[in-house]
Amino acid sequence: MLMMDVDNAPRRASAAPDDVLIAIDQLSKTYVSASGAAVHALSRISLDIKPGEFVCVVGPSGCGKSTLLRLLAGLDDYSEGRLLLDGETVAGPSRKVGVVFQAANLLPWMTVRDNVRLPLRVGGRHAPAGDRIERLLAVTGLADFGDKYPYELSGGMQQRAGICRALARDPEILLMDEPFGALDALTRERLNLELQRIWQENRKTILLITHSISEAIFLADRVIVMSARPGRILADLHVPIPRPRSFDDIVLHPDYARLAKEVRGLLNAQEHGHD
Amino acid sequence: MTDFANIAASAISQKPASSRRRISLGSPIAWIGLAVLILSWIAAVNLLNIPSYILPKPEAVVRALWSGLAVSPASSLGYYLPLWSTLSNAAVGCAIGVGLGLVIGSLMAEVEAIERLVMPYAFALQSLPKVAIAPLIVIWFGFGDGSKIAISALLSFFPVLINSFTGLRAVEPERIDLMRSLSASRLETYRIVKLPNAAPFIFAGLDMAVVYALLGAIVAEFLGAQRGMGVVITQAQAVSDVAGVFAALIILGVLGIVLHGIVRWCEAKVVHWGANRKK
Repeated sequence: MLMMDVDNAPRRASAAPDDVLIAIDQLSKTYVSASGAAVHALSRISLDIKPGEFVCVVGPSGCGKSTLLRLLAGLDDYSEGRLLLDGETVAGPSRKVGVVFQAANLLPWMTVRDNVRLPLRVGGRHAPAGDRIERLLAVTGLADFGDKYPYELSGGMQQRAGICRALARDPEILLMDEPFGALDALTRERLNLELQRIWQENRKTILLITHSISEAIFLADRVIVMSARPGRILADLHVPIPRPRSFDDIVLHPDYARLAKEVRGLLNAQEHGHD
Repeated sequence: MTDFANIAASAISQKPASSRRRISLGSPIAWIGLAVLILSWIAAVNLLNIPSYILPKPEAVVRALWSGLAVSPASSLGYYLPLWSTLSNAAVGCAIGVGLGLVIGSLMAEVEAIERLVMPYAFALQSLPKVAIAPLIVIWFGFGDGSKIAISALLSFFPVLINSFTGLRAVEPERIDLMRSLSASRLETYRIVKLPNAAPFIFAGLDMAVVYALLGAIVAEFLGAQRGMGVVITQAQAVSDVAGVFAALIILGVLGIVLHGIVRWCEAKVVHWGANRKK
């Protein structure tokens, strides 16, 4: 917080209290499609995320949840509203944020280790990472695969490397855009467990986009349910299930059934318009 | 202008423009094809009584080849001196053409203003049969090595220009997003993501460029030169030594295959991550 913008300081006091890391206030995004029509991707989204929270966003496909993540990552401009990370207005990619992309998005011409180190090699100077890269590889079971190329790895391992890369700069916030969507169910559960463990160990603030209800409830402190386009927040559900969670136990938890039913009901009501 | 059609098609399909045929020396079918060709050649010459100034006997071509190859490398009668002259001019021209093609293709891909400035001329020039400019280049650069190098450079420039431009533009947007999310500079994005991504395209352009450079040097030699394989061919033609022309053509054909093989070998070394395996 050394670089805190003086101009933002008064606003910060009113809009973003100290225990809010991500403040989304009346955020809207409209873009012009290829055919020239205006598309309302997001409509007046408001959401506060506390430091260390694990938030999952679920919604029908094309509801603008990926747009929300891109705005948070500073990859797109928003049309209206306000978006603050740690009290600072988002005006481009931030070093406080690590992004995990769909389908890993590793560079095929680099070894796994070089892919994971990439964030330290670009974008200006960085604090020495020490042995962080090696520790990340070890924690995710990739210690022996650092010198391999991405195509030599399974999909699950590739996405593990993608998560390592997002953590390379030790960011405060991890944004994950359907990171496990392309994986088979078993690999997906295993990575969910690993992600829970990584999160419990270093308490990053995580915002994860998914279309899997079970994944959202398993991982999240809060599940945000979004509507079909233009994306609005339909529900903000607290998940009071104690951690560490396991897939065997969680399905027996009464809150799991209640939340799953509620989320499914909200999403089904949305899908009706499509069928 | 089939190469241009290839390039245009590749720009649409977003795949490197190159014949992905492998010239495999181990393929028995290729050797059978060659044997059939030579046998029908022998049969045609002997059975149809074709005069030797139209189609020479295979043994006459072999004799011409032998007399050109089985001499001291410094002999003025052998193929080595003209081959060296043609090859060195083609190599220098190719290096210039490939270098300029890569630089200008990169600038076009990176800076939209340059793209809009250069693209219309690039396409207009690409559609022009460039060997038609050769006489003009001889006027400008003279009958020495300069005109050979210039025409080689001109011919090898375009495939590299178009292919590097197409390849640099063919980057997956997710990879650009990745670099943007890391606040990477433009140069870092170019060097770390775009250039490796374009490498298969650039090699496809290079594959065409080496052959075109050779073509350019030969054409320039036809227009007037003291030495080179083009001179060997025109001298043989002047005395109706058709076997000598054939022998020179065989030398150039083998050279083309060797150059193609070298480019393929370099590509396999550089593009080691199996970009083609995936597709």
